[in-house]
Formats: sequence, structure tokens, C-alpha cells
Amino acid sequence: MVEIANPGMLELVVDLVLMPIVAFVVGLALVLMARRVRAKIERRVGPPFLQPVYDIVKLYSKRTQISHGWMHDVAIMLLLGGFITAEIFLPVPGMSGLAEHGDLLTLIYIMMVPMLGMALGVGDCANPNGSIGISRALTAMLAYDVPYIIAVVGACMVYGTSNLVEIVQIQQAGGPATWGIVTMPLLAIAGLISMHGMLGKEPFEIYIAPAEIATGPMVEMSGKYMGALFVMQCFQLYTVGVLYTTLFLGGGEMWLTFLPKVFAVILVFVAITNLFGRLRTEDVIAWMWKWPTGIALLGLLLVMIDV
Amino acid sequence: MNDQVPVVGEERPETCRAPDAEERSLWRRVMDQFADHCRSRSLFVLHYCTGCGAVELPPTITSRFDMERVGVSPMVTPRQADLLLITGYLSVKTLKRVILSYEQMQSPKYVLGFGSCTINGGMYWNSYATVKRLDQYIPVDGFIAGCMPRPEAVQQVILDLMRRIDSGQANAWRDYYLDYDTYLGRQAALFGEEWHTPTDVVAEARHYGYFGPGTTGVHTARLKNYTEWALNQIPELLPERGRNEKART
Repeated sequence: MVEIANPGMLELVVDLVLMPIVAFVVGLALVLMARRVRAKIERRVGPPFLQPVYDIVKLYSKRTQISHGWMHDVAIMLLLGGFITAEIFLPVPGMSGLAEHGDLLTLIYIMMVPMLGMALGVGDCANPNGSIGISRALTAMLAYDVPYIIAVVGACMVYGTSNLVEIVQIQQAGGPATWGIVTMPLLAIAGLISMHGMLGKEPFEIYIAPAEIATGPMVEMSGKYMGALFVMQCFQLYTVGVLYTTLFLGGGEMWLTFLPKVFAVILVFVAITNLFGRLRTEDVIAWMWKWPTGIALLGLLLVMIDV
Repeated sequence: MNDQVPVVGEERPETCRAPDAEERSLWRRVMDQFADHCRSRSLFVLHYCTGCGAVELPPTITSRFDMERVGVSPMVTPRQADLLLITGYLSVKTLKRVILSYEQMQSPKYVLGFGSCTINGGMYWNSYATVKRLDQYIPVDGFIAGCMPRPEAVQQVILDLMRRIDSGQANAWRDYYLDYDTYLGRQAALFGEEWHTPTDVVAEARHYGYFGPGTTGVHTARLKNYTEWALNQIPELLPERGRNEKART
């Protein structure tokens, strides 16, 4: 028998393997929910239960695919790798992975990697729709990151720490009265809007825009590349849902109470998405820098006065 | 590396790797059937609606008939799409764009002709500017007769296509690789001898193992001029043969 020198290390390795897998499976369910809810709002039946799996398996089993150069290939790895790394830094019930070693700022930094990867890869495609799409994506990032960072910094000030594990413990110990959405409602609203922008859904869907720039960054993605983007969508929904739940909805000590919160957050996003059309790029920046940023600054002011 | 990936314009021995179902392992066959099932349940459709027929598609995909129930959803670029739906007549000009879009789609890919015009020209059979038979220029998996076919007919043919994909019979896309010379000849007869596309279908057929005796021939020999021209004009494609290198030496 091999003697395990450090039991904590084994647990960490198990966490590192399990967390992305759990994220992917939950993400598939989130994608299914988003499509079903959209169908219900449009009075349709919607896709079958295994539709996200069918889509991903089909895309990965395409017989031919087009690569536009080595940066295109590397970018896909950056894209997926960025999100898989982000899952490791997100504490979930029973698994904290590297969340105790890195904090919220590390997570924010890592969550920008996929967008950067996309920009590099799409640049290699040399498709004008893709270039417009990626310039819009980076513009959107500039728009939603301002209220997002203010909301996150305000949350860190209220909790007195930027360690996500401790943030969850504080909220779990104090009950719903200490949840972020109660103690800092304005920051929670600003966070919700900015994370909606982060998902790239309507009305902030400026860089996908199928009818205008033919899905922007995804325009040249085929076969396995598109499959990687579908996997990325699962991770993206999961990451945003879990991050919001952790910061403002008390996180969770068990999956039974944790997952409904994550699904509820994504349900709010999906429901809002289907009510709106698409804003123009400059309107997104103007709106994001006016309303969510204003709400976030007001929330930050209240937090600082209380402190 | 160079042995596996054929370079544009490079002469290679013409071999055909015949995929033999009996030789493949049980694992491979099971996985292929699973992949075929997933392909049949997830069809991303590119609508080519320059003719008529665009009116019949919204009821098909929206709340009246909701084709998303069986995994059919619209896509906006040929790269992401599996199924090319040609609705209505094609003029000679639009057929060029159809062929460009078709070659950008990734295999396995399927084409459905929609309405009488794609079958025999329909009410435009006497026109000098429209294409009579779509399946002479690209391989077609199925036709829907009628002028116009109702959404129910569209659903019926898509369900039929799904059944054939599931059982591994919808392989018309291989014909484009295997008989490329014939297809290119018919296209050139319509568009003129200058006709060529940016996609190197012959190199793709070699690379993916769909090279057959009909892939190259009289018509594809003509394409060599264009690849030679491109290789000489764009040094990045093949640096040792580029114009700049020649000038330097």
C-alpha cells in the first residue's frame, strides 16, 4: 500500500477533478432550463431532456473541421481552461478546491481569461463578422465590469474578507438576515444587472447578435470548436449562477439548498432576457455606466457609512 | 507531419481508404451508432430563403409546430449548420452562393430541396436564368414536392431525414467528395470555365479519406492553374515557392 503522506492533498486532488465535472453536469441542466423556459415563454414545448448532450456529442463527432491556424486551436484551450480553472476557485457544498488559497480577486482575474482567449482565436479567423463581434465583446466587458467590480468590492467590505469560503461561512452562520441581498440590497441589484451583462444575454447581447453579425465571435467556429463553445456555455451559466449565490444568496452547506438558488438566479436572467430586444453598443455602455454603476456607487456609499 | 496533412497543390499518390464496416471494432460501431443518433436528434438548419418558401418556415420552428421538440434549431452561419434548406427556386447567381455555403459547411452535412423548383424547375422551367435540377450541382438528401409545401410537409421530410441519419443511410455528402469532378463539371457548364471556389475539395477528400476515382478528372485538372496562381501570389501559403523567395534567389 502506498502511504499517503498528506490526506489533505488527496482530498484536494479529488476536488480538483470533481469540481469541473459537477460544474459541467449542472451547467448542462442550466442550459436545458434556459431553453425550456424560453420555449415556454414563446408558448412552445421546447427541446427534449437530453438536447444539450445531443448537441455537444453531435458537434464533437463531426467528420471534418476547419482550423484557422494554431492560435485558433490554442484559443479554444484558453477558453475552456479559463472556465475550468474558475470552477476550482468557486467553493460549492462539500468541496472548496483552491478557494481557500485564492480569493475573489483571483477569480475575477481568471474569469477574464476566456474572453481574452476568444479575442485571440477570433482574430486568427480573419472574418469581419468575428472581428466586429470580438470588439463588441470587449466593449461590453468594459461596460459591465465597472458596476461588477464596485459590487464585488462593496461585498468584500461588508464581509470584511475576500475569501469566498469565509464569505459563505459568515452567511451560513448568521442565517438569511446576514445574506448579501439583505445587508446590501443595492449592491445585489447592481451585481445582478452586471452579471446579466456578463452572460451576454439580451438586452446586452451586442456581441452575439445572430441577425446582425451572424453570432459574432462564433461565426467561424465549426465542429469541435463549436462543441467547445457549447461546453463553455454550460460553464459560464454555472460560474455566474454560483458566484452570485455565493456573494449575495448565502452560498450553501448542502446541495439541496444550494442548487435551487443557482437555478433561481439563472431563471431570473433567462426570464429577463426574453422580455427585451437588443440594445446598441453605445447604448449598452451608456446604460451600464449610468444605472447599475449609479446603484452600485450608492450601495457602496451606504456600506461605507454603516462601516 | 507533412506526410499526414496534404498541402495545397502538392502531388500525392491517390489512395482511397475504404471504410469497411465489418473490419471495425464493436466499440467503434457502437460509438458510431451513438454519434449517428445524436446527429439525427440535433439538426442545426441554415435556411437559404432567397426564393419563395420563407413564409412556411416560421410556423415550422415557432409555436405552431415547434421543431425544437426534435432538436431542429435555426443557425445563421454555414460553419455551424448541419442542414441546408434550399427553399424555392435558385437563379444561376444564387446557386453560386449556395455552392459556396455548402462547401463551408462541415461534414456530415445534409441538403433538403424545398418545393417543385428545386426538383425540375417548377413554374420557372422555361426561364433562362433559373436552375432546373438542384441535385445536379450539389448532392441532395431529400426533396419536398409542392408549390409551396405546407409546414407539415417540411416536418415530415425532416423526420424522414432524421430516421435515415439515425440508421446511417443519409450519406449524400460523401458523393460530393467521391464524384467531385462530375459536380464541378456541371457547375462549370453553368457558370463558365473560370468557375472555382476557395474550398479545396480535393485536398479535403484526400485528408479525410473520401478520395475516390471520381474525385479528380478532366474538370479538377483545371483547378491546378488557380492553386498555382495562389501559391505564387501569396507567399505565406508555401514559402519556398512564393514569388518573394524566387526574387531573393
